Amino acid sequence: MQFLSVIVLPLLAFMVAVLFLGLSRKITARIQRRYGPPLYQPVIDVVKLFTQEENISHGPVFDLGVMLALGGSVAIVLFIPVGGMLGLSSSGDLLVVIYLMLLPPLGMALAAGASANPNASIGVSRKLILALAYEVPFLLAILAVMIYGKTTSLMEATQSQQSSVLAWGLFRLPLSALATFLILPAMIGMRPFDMVTAPQEIASGPLVEFGGKYLAIASLQSALHLYIVIALFVNLFLGGGANAGTFLAKVLVVFVAVLLINAVYPRFRMDQGLRFCWKWPGLLALVGLIIAMVSRG
Amino acid sequence: MLVAVILSTAFLGALAVYFAGKLSPRVRNVLAVLVALTVAILTAFLYGHKAQVDYYTIGFLDVTLSLRTNPLAWFFAMAITGIGLCSIIFSLEYMKGKERLDFYYFAMLLVNASMLGIVFSGDLISLYIFWEVMSWSTYLVISYKGGKAAAAGLKYMIMSVVGSCAMLLAIVSLYAHYETIDISRLSTAMQSASAGYALFILLMCAIGFGVKNAIMPLHTWLPDAHSEAVSPFSAVLSGILVRMGVFGLLLIMYGVLTPRMLDKLGAGMLSFSYILCWVAAITIIIPTFTALLQDDSKRLVAWHTVGQGGYMIMGIAFGTTLGIAGGIFHVLNYGISVTLLFLVVGAVEHRTRGQRDLNQLGGLAKRMPLTFFAALCGICGFIGVPLTGSFVSKWLIYKTLIVEGYPFLAFAALIGTWGTILSVYKLLHNIFLGQLPEKYKDVKEVPFSMQLPMIVLSFAILLFGILPGIPLKAIGRIQSSLGLEPLQASLFAMPPEVGELNMVNILAAVAAGCAVAYLIFRLCRKSRRVPQSDTYAAGSYAPADKYQYSANFYERVYQVIEPYVRDRVDAFYYWVVEKSEGLFDGIRKVYTGNLNTYALYIILFLGLLAVLKLALR
Repeated sequence: MQFLSVIVLPLLAFMVAVLFLGLSRKITARIQRRYGPPLYQPVIDVVKLFTQEENISHGPVFDLGVMLALGGSVAIVLFIPVGGMLGLSSSGDLLVVIYLMLLPPLGMALAAGASANPNASIGVSRKLILALAYEVPFLLAILAVMIYGKTTSLMEATQSQQSSVLAWGLFRLPLSALATFLILPAMIGMRPFDMVTAPQEIASGPLVEFGGKYLAIASLQSALHLYIVIALFVNLFLGGGANAGTFLAKVLVVFVAVLLINAVYPRFRMDQGLRFCWKWPGLLALVGLIIAMVSRG
Repeated sequence: MLVAVILSTAFLGALAVYFAGKLSPRVRNVLAVLVALTVAILTAFLYGHKAQVDYYTIGFLDVTLSLRTNPLAWFFAMAITGIGLCSIIFSLEYMKGKERLDFYYFAMLLVNASMLGIVFSGDLISLYIFWEVMSWSTYLVISYKGGKAAAAGLKYMIMSVVGSCAMLLAIVSLYAHYETIDISRLSTAMQSASAGYALFILLMCAIGFGVKNAIMPLHTWLPDAHSEAVSPFSAVLSGILVRMGVFGLLLIMYGVLTPRMLDKLGAGMLSFSYILCWVAAITIIIPTFTALLQDDSKRLVAWHTVGQGGYMIMGIAFGTTLGIAGGIFHVLNYGISVTLLFLVVGAVEHRTRGQRDLNQLGGLAKRMPLTFFAALCGICGFIGVPLTGSFVSKWLIYKTLIVEGYPFLAFAALIGTWGTILSVYKLLHNIFLGQLPEKYKDVKEVPFSMQLPMIVLSFAILLFGILPGIPLKAIGRIQSSLGLEPLQASLFAMPPEVGELNMVNILAAVAAGCAVAYLIFRLCRKSRRVPQSDTYAAGSYAPADKYQYSANFYERVYQVIEPYVRDRVDAFYYWVVEKSEGLFDGIRKVYTGNLNTYALYIILFLGLLAVLKLALR
């Protein structure tokens, strides 16, 4: 069973991720009073990109970077338990997961840097700054979870919340949960924190040189990343799930909430984003961590 | 006995290399590599040995000087000889055509030999003598280039002397108290020491070793010295020489004192260990974020030397099994990574006529692919990306901080890592990625003798990351030999009671993920290669070489953090220097150097005495 989950988890993640892409376009369209494309539109897009006649490459670093990005994301998925499916989560704890989450951006940054496009370089620098911005509250928040549960294991942190709804991280550590929710758009790269790929300013930043299969892999990777971040949030603060069904339902709810923010907000400037992340979510997470430390005794 | 052979080989070898240089440069180069290699191989044979030999008796003091070997000494000796060998091989091509090479190789080997002397010392006097030999020979190599380097060397020397004085004070006081300087005998004698006395010894040693290890606020010599020294020597300096401070601290905290003694030094928030942990936390954060503001490639890496040292001190000061193991392991991992990065920066410098300004470089990945790969391994090793050794050592430190309930220390360590990511990625991106400037179009890869050390070190980073059990076994032996509980790690996984970490499974996951990506990639149509400059610029034209867009890479962060990360400590020291110069100037006015004035002073003094005598009567 556990061996099987190693194969099921990535497949599930891919399907959910692609579904989310479709859903996001539909919901955003509805909020903006448009009709929107059909749900399966991203599938068509990705298939079209994969079968494109011409692909343009800037060399080995460009190719390997893209592969590392997708490969890293697939690897992370294996360490995030979904309901009862544990995957490889007994081989790596939460610290491993947050460190593995460095691989995909590293791959993307390498690929982006292989070209001489100024927009790509600007995008990479923005991504790194944004990461520094949201990691401060994020690390404070997950430290609160780990301190509260006296464990660094993602599996145990999730299981300890499953006795009742009130045992959820959301109710035990409300400030940490709120802080993490506030930075979710930054982690995913959605508005108001989509400076990295800002299409109107820097022509999609790191993605600017990608076309054909490269763009297809990059969009699959970013969809997987979206799933990973939200799944992590659900595991840490919403009690995971008794089975895959309830887990995915919670993931969906969080996703729609983030999407609503995305649909109506404009974009922060870089330094505004940095200041916001450090000020409000940072402060909340800090207080949350102190509370977690005190209540742990 | 083998210890004595190793040390004499190292010291005599250094001399022999100097004289061989008078014969012919070729003989000198071969001999230098040979000496470094022989010492490394001999040291490897010491594994598992435990011995102590007396070599000299100072009659009038009645003390015996001795050498000894134990797991701790072996571990550091291996790191010293390994890194030393790599940088000597790298030097062969790098230093070609520079002047005073006989002296350079002599000094390099002398530094390595004196470091070996330190770790193999069986008593504190030997340790102090080797320590001074190391400090002075280091000074010689730092100031080798002259100019700015001489000033940096002087700064280093002044701070080192302060540290040495503190250390000497502790040694003399120990001798006066217990009439022995033998380390193993001292550790028995110290068991009955009062807490106050132990604290005094510990503080003096912490200053002595802290200067070398660049613990804040004793770090200010380091960025200057490391960036001004020649690159292969920066590698040795940064990779292992400054970590002699960690060695010394380990020796004094766990070899001479014991955890039981350390527990007596204050309680809770005010204990020695806890305060040292916070000093380490500050040492992690401020230098790492200062590194972010640097534009000089060597200076950037040098600031990380300070910052990464914080992790080691934190692990060791925290004092749990995991913490100490993580701290010692990080010495090795960090040593390998930083050596590699200094060699990489040196290689780039070598091929671009000494260009170190990150705002002038770019796009060299295609010109120097192997150096690029080495740089990638090096920065991953710095960050602690999974599958590199530092990941495991940092994981051990985080894990113990979290499980024991110290989230703020853990936060300092974690956020330091994110600061590291930003600054070292800038190093990689600005040198190897992005636009290739016109003037570097014809840059070639470095010759093989420079590639070899980089290949070996990159391999070591990955090896220790995937199979951390190899070094952790040696570290377990260190812990048992110091009377601590050893960490029982298997070849690639942590035991379940420690936590979930299985490097082979992580490797399998990443490899499988990348295999999936590769498969998808290959199933599609092959791509067409275009030159780097063939880019999409959203309708406008991006001119080649007109502007450098990776300059001011993190300008937005600068705006926010710059006021907080200025090196105020350095400014303070300079203020002290300035003020004391004023004071000394004032004093000099009294000492005019004129005999008449002195005669006047004497007469005045006698007059004063006479007046006093009269008044008292």
